[in-house]
Amino acid sequence: MGGKQPEPANVSSKSESMATNKASPDLLNSLSFKSLKLKTKQQELLIRVSILGLVYVLAFIARLFSVLRYESMIHEFDPYFNYRTTLFLTEKGFYEFWNWFDSESWYPLGRIIGGTLYPGLMVTAALIYWTLRFLRFFVHIREVCVLTAPFFASNTTVVAYFFGKEIWDTGAGLVAAALIAICPGYISRSVAGSYDNEAVAIFALLLTFYLFVKAVNTGSLAWALGSAFGYFYMVSAWGGYVFIINLVPLYVLVLLITGRYSMRLYVAYNCMYILGMLLAMQIRFVGFQHVQSGEHMGAMGVFLLMQVFYFLDWVKYQLNDTKLFQTFLRITVTSAILVGGIALGVGTASGYISPWTGRFYSLLDPTYAKDHIPIIASVSEHQPTAWSSFMFDYHILLFLFPAGLYFCFKRLSDATIFIVMYGLTSLYFAGVMVRLILVATPAVCLISAIAVSATVKNLTSLLRTKQKVPQTGSMKGAGSSKASSKVLLDQSQPFQKNGAIALLLGVFYLLSRYAIHCTWVTSEAYSSPSIVLAARGAHGNRIIFDDYREAYYWLRQNTPTDAKVMSWWDYGYQITAMGNRTVIVDNNTWNNTHIATVGRAMSSYEDEAYDIMRSLDVNYVLVVFGGVTGYSSDDINKFLWMVRIGGGVFPVIKEPDYLVNGEFRVDKGASPKMLNCLMYKLCYYRFGELVTEYGKPSGYDRARGVEIGNKDIKLEHLEEAYTTSNWIVRIYRVKPPTNRL
Amino acid sequence: MVVGTNLASRFFLFTALLFAAPISFADSEHDSDLIAELISLRSAADSGVIRLDDDGVSRFLTSVSTPRPYSLIIFFDAVDLHSKSEFRLVELRREFEIVSASFIANNNGSDVTKLFFCEIDSTHSAASFHRFAVESLPHICLVDPWMDNLQDESGQMERGDFEGLAESMAEFVERRTKLTVGPIHRPPLLSKTQIAIITALIVISIPILIKKVLKGETLLHDHRVWLSGAVFVYFFSVAGTMHNIIRKVPMFLRDHEDPSNIVFFYGDSEFQLGTEGFAVGFLYTVVGLILAYVTNALVVYLDNWKTGYEIHPYWPSSWH
Repeated sequence: MGGKQPEPANVSSKSESMATNKASPDLLNSLSFKSLKLKTKQQELLIRVSILGLVYVLAFIARLFSVLRYESMIHEFDPYFNYRTTLFLTEKGFYEFWNWFDSESWYPLGRIIGGTLYPGLMVTAALIYWTLRFLRFFVHIREVCVLTAPFFASNTTVVAYFFGKEIWDTGAGLVAAALIAICPGYISRSVAGSYDNEAVAIFALLLTFYLFVKAVNTGSLAWALGSAFGYFYMVSAWGGYVFIINLVPLYVLVLLITGRYSMRLYVAYNCMYILGMLLAMQIRFVGFQHVQSGEHMGAMGVFLLMQVFYFLDWVKYQLNDTKLFQTFLRITVTSAILVGGIALGVGTASGYISPWTGRFYSLLDPTYAKDHIPIIASVSEHQPTAWSSFMFDYHILLFLFPAGLYFCFKRLSDATIFIVMYGLTSLYFAGVMVRLILVATPAVCLISAIAVSATVKNLTSLLRTKQKVPQTGSMKGAGSSKASSKVLLDQSQPFQKNGAIALLLGVFYLLSRYAIHCTWVTSEAYSSPSIVLAARGAHGNRIIFDDYREAYYWLRQNTPTDAKVMSWWDYGYQITAMGNRTVIVDNNTWNNTHIATVGRAMSSYEDEAYDIMRSLDVNYVLVVFGGVTGYSSDDINKFLWMVRIGGGVFPVIKEPDYLVNGEFRVDKGASPKMLNCLMYKLCYYRFGELVTEYGKPSGYDRARGVEIGNKDIKLEHLEEAYTTSNWIVRIYRVKPPTNRL
Repeated sequence: MVVGTNLASRFFLFTALLFAAPISFADSEHDSDLIAELISLRSAADSGVIRLDDDGVSRFLTSVSTPRPYSLIIFFDAVDLHSKSEFRLVELRREFEIVSASFIANNNGSDVTKLFFCEIDSTHSAASFHRFAVESLPHICLVDPWMDNLQDESGQMERGDFEGLAESMAEFVERRTKLTVGPIHRPPLLSKTQIAIITALIVISIPILIKKVLKGETLLHDHRVWLSGAVFVYFFSVAGTMHNIIRKVPMFLRDHEDPSNIVFFYGDSEFQLGTEGFAVGFLYTVVGLILAYVTNALVVYLDNWKTGYEIHPYWPSSWH
């Protein structure tokens, strides 16, 4: 490496000698050269801005597949709740929203919305909506909600550019912006319609980190203040802020240990921590956790440690006596650690500081969740990640990441240390839970961008210098010792040049593969709304099943406004948002007993279930059934979870009663309890008369591929109210009790 | 009526005792022989777990009339299933040995001869498995002195009892036999000589380490060590190691139809096998590092990084 360093120096000395040799004609030359240089700078700026602009647009339009293919609608489950609250916010105003007690969910308990959500997303969407209205663009709030995620993804690319510029250089920034714009790991949660907290949270996360690194690099209060506000936005938007409040102190601690403590760091961290903490306390859902929960204590410990550092520095300056200072140092450090330990112990023992939550534990010790909290372990996005998911979501970034690490380690600075720590911790967490790939994506993109940018830059500069060197060599001819060294260089150049060209082509090939892969993944895997189902017909044509919305609109039109609907919790948010009816449980799974009660009702015999439903004032029961269409994530396939969760609270429900030799069956060999429980009856009512597939007997379940075991189902306390056109959603009315004479 | 049945039962008891007495006298000698034999078998065995075969079962259990003078607790083992981690046979057998050794160590006197720990292996004693009606493993069963029908399920240790390992097994034994097992003695993780060697090594290396730390020459000061650590974390994540740990995935599977055929790659994208993950993770790492090497070694390193920012003047300049 060192031997090749003089090359740029050569160039400069060359121009110097040229300038001294021919003074008068060069004056003109240098003038034009200067103006040309100015122009190249402008050109460079122009190119950079236009690339950024294009990337901004690209990030937006890459996420519109679902809108083009289906229509502008909200996806999945949680976004419907967010949409409903946003609607409420725009209609009733902020204070009503903040104090909203929602009696339509968790009947009869209700839910204090303002105190149990992260309002960042809704407020952002409402602000965009009001701004557009002010500018006389009369859009519907739904359009704003659908497009919030792509809009913030575009903003994220800009932040990624500045972050890359801060860590490495503008080239890396541009590449980072381009990579993150289409990275599937990020697209998976930011397509149009996925109106969820993560949509704005990743933007806030990256912004906070960028501003903090900027603050550490400059030592400026202004950037630190910006970082605190970024943190506030993050806290208001997503529970993942805990990652920031632990990563940043860890980073500061590493800088302290490696002897990189500086006044810049002191200013940046103290300002960010104190202001960020005070601001975060304004969010009701977070409250005083920053001073009360064990997960936030690390940040406070580092804050205090930093004061000790500063204090020691001051004393060192005052004392001027090394021996005295050494003793003082020892006493201070010991007592500081002792006091901190005692305070933490007393706080924990007295219950003032809450211990770590299960989710936090399960990240540090991944086997914890499996053994202790099945409800976390059961959620599909909490599953550990297999290698194929990494490949799917990162593609070539996966290979570029170690290369980027190598570059970072070669040029260690405060900023690269940060990005390396961010990358490694988040990548570890991504290995524990699939959904955390999202958090790791910005770091992976940035580190990979460093690899790409540094490589391309080095290669092109190699090519460029090659073109110049032979020219000057021939001009000067034989003479000084410099010339002979150039001849030597010349000889090794053809190989290097060809190698560089080959490598450049390779890099561009890889990048184009990446673009193709990302587009394909976005279009095929991440753009289905899951509220409208699509299937391929026999002739390859697309068949759309819009049964969910059909059922919810039926509820809205045909049931009394105060009707209570019981369903499994997955559909709670959608029923309240689209059907506008009260539900017993929904996706905010805060009360396990209530969910278990519903699970118990679903897995009991009809008469027992009827008592439970009467006690909960249930008027309608909604089940999702895929036997006709072959839709596999229906209630029958989720049924064992209902049994498990119900049995976890009510021991009368036993899982083995529903299994035959450990196997879950719905055909003739199924267990009698299974064949007569409420869920089975509601799903398969009248199904025995139906022929679903040619050449199969009637009552053939296409989702499970069997003929059902109980074709003659009689309902006693319920009656069929509505079944959608493809039988995906079935709604039953609970009959009032018969008169006793 | 009540008085009548009472009397009748007393009468039966009395006659039974009358008839039983001579038999038991005759048997007592035979019994003590059996106990002596069991004790000698026990002292010969590791941790006092006696290995029974089909003959042993008939000799000590079926041919001895009840009440036997001892209880046997039997662990049903299958050596060919040891490789399958889901049965946990190896682990449970180790715990069983610990209970046995603890029982012998804690009791001396008459109690020791009342309970014997035994094991039966399926490969050599399939008939005994049949006799006990063992259908699934792990299976641990207590044969108390009165148990006539070996297929009786009452002596069977329930899953919950060996879930908590040695302690709960001991609890089960104490509950059923009214004997005390006493505190469980687990073998220490390291033997005494190992501990001595390790402490000696640490003591010797401390001055050297301190010297190195003071000089700033440790591995921790070498950024290459940190780089390899970082690459390891990367490898650890992308290989899906967490997935393997949490799901307790085996390294490879054997094909159902053809057991000689080993499956290394699993078809489903949501699931992976151990070897598969490591192989792919290794591939990722190697390719990534080659990329880093190629781009770094072949080209000139150009560093035009701005050298850094001014330290902001909040720090009193007189301090430095």
